[in-house]
Amino acid sequence: MRGMEGEMLKGHLDMIVLAALAAGPAHGYAVIEEIKRRSGQKFSLPEGTVYPALHRLEEAGLLASRWVTAESGRRRRVYSLTKRGSRGLAEQRAVWEQFSVAIGALLGTARPWKTPA
Amino acid sequence: MEDSSLIAEYAESLAGRLRFDRSLARCVRQEVEDHLWEAVATSSTGDLLEAQRRAIADFGDAHVIAAQIAVVSLAKQIKKIGVTVVLVIAAIYLAMTTRVTWYDLGQWALCEDRRALSGTIGLIDRSTFWLAAIGGIAAWAYIGSRHTPTTFHPAYREQLRRFFLLCSTATGALITSVICDGVLTALRLWGLEFSFDFMVPIFSMAIEIACAGALVVHIRGITQRLASAAALLST
Repeated sequence: MRGMEGEMLKGHLDMIVLAALAAGPAHGYAVIEEIKRRSGQKFSLPEGTVYPALHRLEEAGLLASRWVTAESGRRRRVYSLTKRGSRGLAEQRAVWEQFSVAIGALLGTARPWKTPA
Repeated sequence: MEDSSLIAEYAESLAGRLRFDRSLARCVRQEVEDHLWEAVATSSTGDLLEAQRRAIADFGDAHVIAAQIAVVSLAKQIKKIGVTVVLVIAAIYLAMTTRVTWYDLGQWALCEDRRALSGTIGLIDRSTFWLAAIGGIAAWAYIGSRHTPTTFHPAYREQLRRFFLLCSTATGALITSVICDGVLTALRLWGLEFSFDFMVPIFSMAIEIACAGALVVHIRGITQRLASAAALLST
């Protein structure tokens, strides 16, 4: 299974990345692994597309980053949610839940329109 | 040796596309290499070369990713121009105010024959300075209120065109204002015997010229980067 449609995912990538970082600070690879794990491997975007999203969210002040040295000796950039990012995620979550309920209700009630008597 | 060069080559090709910003290119290269080597380390295949190929394939097209990162970087630099314009205008205003206050405190009188010319230049100076201030603040507020785009789409290009129009107006007006300040200072000091009191007008003029020059250099540098990035994004 290829997973969810790429275009559908791209539209929500920022929210997905913020949600993945809600568990705690992580580097890019760990963010992607967390997205895969929590989505049951259903999200399959090119992994590299997460990095522009991480940079964009940092630029918007929703994420902060710092460089550390990994056990392998490589330089590693670790991202974490800022307070603004946590608030942004909560807002996006609320909007998404409303949207999800509305779409669910729309798709789940496939009844014909009632015409006035 | 060949095994390890696959990831290095890929990271280099991605970073090479971002060479208009060396610092960004270096960071992205380190980040991408770290990602790919971690993917190789957790790969289930025993073949190192195959693991690298798979990691690179999963990562995606280097050109597409570089273009998306370039857009974010450009948006950041362009917002910095907006802030710089406002800071430079504030610094020039401070220098002008200090000089005028110094003239008032020292009761520096202007020769009668220079008053008419000084009045005309002063009017141009005030008009161009406030035009610069309005243009600069408008540019800063305009670009600051835009979201960082995900791609270099036509709507964003239009936003950039408007922003640079406002910035160019502000910078042009500011340079005119600084030139007028220079002429006014010269009219004020011309013919007087040099004294230590000259230091404040001269120093404040030097600050104005340095600020205006720095702004022009800064905008020129960003414009050059923008042209390089636009070439990358349009291919």
